[in-house]
Amino acid sequence: MPPIIEVQNLVKEFRTFRRREGVLGALQNLFVREYMTVHAVDHISFSIEPGEMVGYIGANGAGKSTTIKILTGILSPTGGRVVSNGFVPYRERRHYTKHIGVVFGQRTQLWWDIAVIESFKLLKEIYEISDQDYQQRLDVFSEILNLKEYLHTPVRKLSLGERMRCDLAASLLHNPPVLFLDEPTIGLDVVAKERIREFLKEINRTEGTTVLLTTHDLSDIEELSRRIVIIDKGRILFDGDLEQMKARLAKYNQVKFFLKDRSQVPRLAQIETDGIVCQRVDDLTYVIRFDRGEHSSANVIRQIVNTLQVRDLLVEEEPIEEIVKRIYLSGEVI
Amino acid sequence: MAPPGIAIAVPNNRYSPAFARTARLCLAFARVGFVNTLAFRLRYVTGIVTYFIYVSVYYFIWKAIYEHSASIEGFDFAHLLTYIGVGWIIRSFYFNTIDQDLAYQVIEGRLAMDLIKPVNIQLMYVSRAAGESVFRLALLTIPTALVLFLVYPLRLPAGFGHAGAFFVSVILSFLIVAAINFAVGTFALRLQSILGLMRAKFFLLELFSGLLLPMTFFPHIFQKILSVMPFEYISYVPMLIYLGKLNGGGLARAIGIQIFWVVILMAIGDGLWRWSTRKVIIQGG
Ligand SMILES: Nc1ncnc2c1ncn2[C@@H]1O[C@H](COP(=O)(O)OP(=O)(O)OP(=O)(O)O)[C@@H](O)[C@H]1O
Ligand SMILES: [Mg+2]
Repeated sequence: MPPIIEVQNLVKEFRTFRRREGVLGALQNLFVREYMTVHAVDHISFSIEPGEMVGYIGANGAGKSTTIKILTGILSPTGGRVVSNGFVPYRERRHYTKHIGVVFGQRTQLWWDIAVIESFKLLKEIYEISDQDYQQRLDVFSEILNLKEYLHTPVRKLSLGERMRCDLAASLLHNPPVLFLDEPTIGLDVVAKERIREFLKEINRTEGTTVLLTTHDLSDIEELSRRIVIIDKGRILFDGDLEQMKARLAKYNQVKFFLKDRSQVPRLAQIETDGIVCQRVDDLTYVIRFDRGEHSSANVIRQIVNTLQVRDLLVEEEPIEEIVKRIYLSGEVI
Repeated sequence: MAPPGIAIAVPNNRYSPAFARTARLCLAFARVGFVNTLAFRLRYVTGIVTYFIYVSVYYFIWKAIYEHSASIEGFDFAHLLTYIGVGWIIRSFYFNTIDQDLAYQVIEGRLAMDLIKPVNIQLMYVSRAAGESVFRLALLTIPTALVLFLVYPLRLPAGFGHAGAFFVSVILSFLIVAAINFAVGTFALRLQSILGLMRAKFFLLELFSGLLLPMTFFPHIFQKILSVMPFEYISYVPMLIYLGKLNGGGLARAIGIQIFWVVILMAIGDGLWRWSTRKVIIQGG
């Protein structure tokens, strides 16, 4: 099957002019403008197959939202080619937007002062959803997302998490083949996040909806998508399978252990050989981080239990946050 | 890799004629405007008082002026009082805040939310304003009319035919004002702040719509210039119809020109919207 989204050599430049400060600067601004070009998206290419769920991540200002805006047709690229769902988004916006779902986590697409259900009814007319489909989807969505209590509340009175769930339902009422989510879990509590993730998985499984989402919460990606695209300063650093990335780039493992009592503390020094260092978490909790290439977890654990009396012990992979942090910091393509 | 049941863009299979679809959509937006206003219904109690005060002020001013003459420019005092009183009554129906709504949408950075919706934006704003107007009709226009008719000797419409034509004409006034406001509002996309523009438009409408005084009171050249502009078709023309000063062919022509202005102004609004969104789409919001 051909890809549903294809992006080739996408470029977006913003021209802004540098504002000088002070009265003199303001005067100068009137006559001589010094332009700066921001390369928000700098030759990005990727393609997404129908039914894929792709996590699009990057540090602040990396160009994620800019990419999503281009893909939803509300921003035109400076260069390159975009085809999504058979449309060139920015050229055929009005037709195209009929066939996509969009959630910008920072904003709501619902009408502020009216009850959620009124907004839904309006969307039903806008997208020309049949009565039957509308009722069926509304039932399913309110069930999974637990919306029933809020349907008759005006959007302005909803909490962030409640609003986000309503927004998500709104974006899918017309059953679009493609869904774009820009930070859909921003500011949500654990339970709300879980609900949204479950919902996305369910929709992806039953409807085959293609999903592209940006987030700063890497557990979203771990839960939802196998594929991850990392961008930085408008360029792709990594595009591929999440597990493969971990296998290739995870450098460290760590063992966290809990001492039986304080009498054990002086003996910690005995295991600190061969570049193994104990980091203190609290009085009785310590962590050993070690290079996966140099030590095996089994050896480290053996060392610990042979030398110390421990109450409990945990082996952890390097958290994905750490791996990604390294990628952001190095800024190199991997 | 792809799971079963992939959804691909399909043309809508629920066939209905374009006109019926548009009408349904307008109705849905009007409903929202109506429901939305419901939340602010208390505002209208003060509105009735305000309108009453306005008309009272004009009553005393014109009463003083008419002390010395029975008729000015073809209006006797009873005519003029009706002209002013009913003029303000219909104003409470036809005015709307589309320009302000658009300006807020831009300031609050919510424009993208309009852009991701597959609808004609002007239609959306105008329909919503229509819903608000219908709501105001019940909570502001009719109560204000009752109060003013009780307190002041306002006249009834010239006849049944004129009453009917008057209602049609007032609806067209609403559409003219809505189209002007939308066109003004689109400038928010390029200029960010349109406070000055909105104020200029406000005075233009108050003065040249004929709300404050009939067009015949203006100097002759002014009248000529204003007659080729849409403003006097907002208040002056419906009031002439109400008072029975327009009949037969003249009446039909006046309503025809109102329709002409609705079409032209809406086309201009559509063009301006497209021109303004192009900038946003290229430069980012
Ligand atoms: N309208 C604009 N005008 C000028 N510069 C812009 C504009 N929009 C974005 N930028 C710049 O483009 C770059 C990418 O911005 P973008 O919003 O895409 O980042 P992001 O990856 O979404 O970041 P975040 O994680 O903070 O949301 C930033 O440097 C930003 O300052
Ligand atoms: Mg962003």
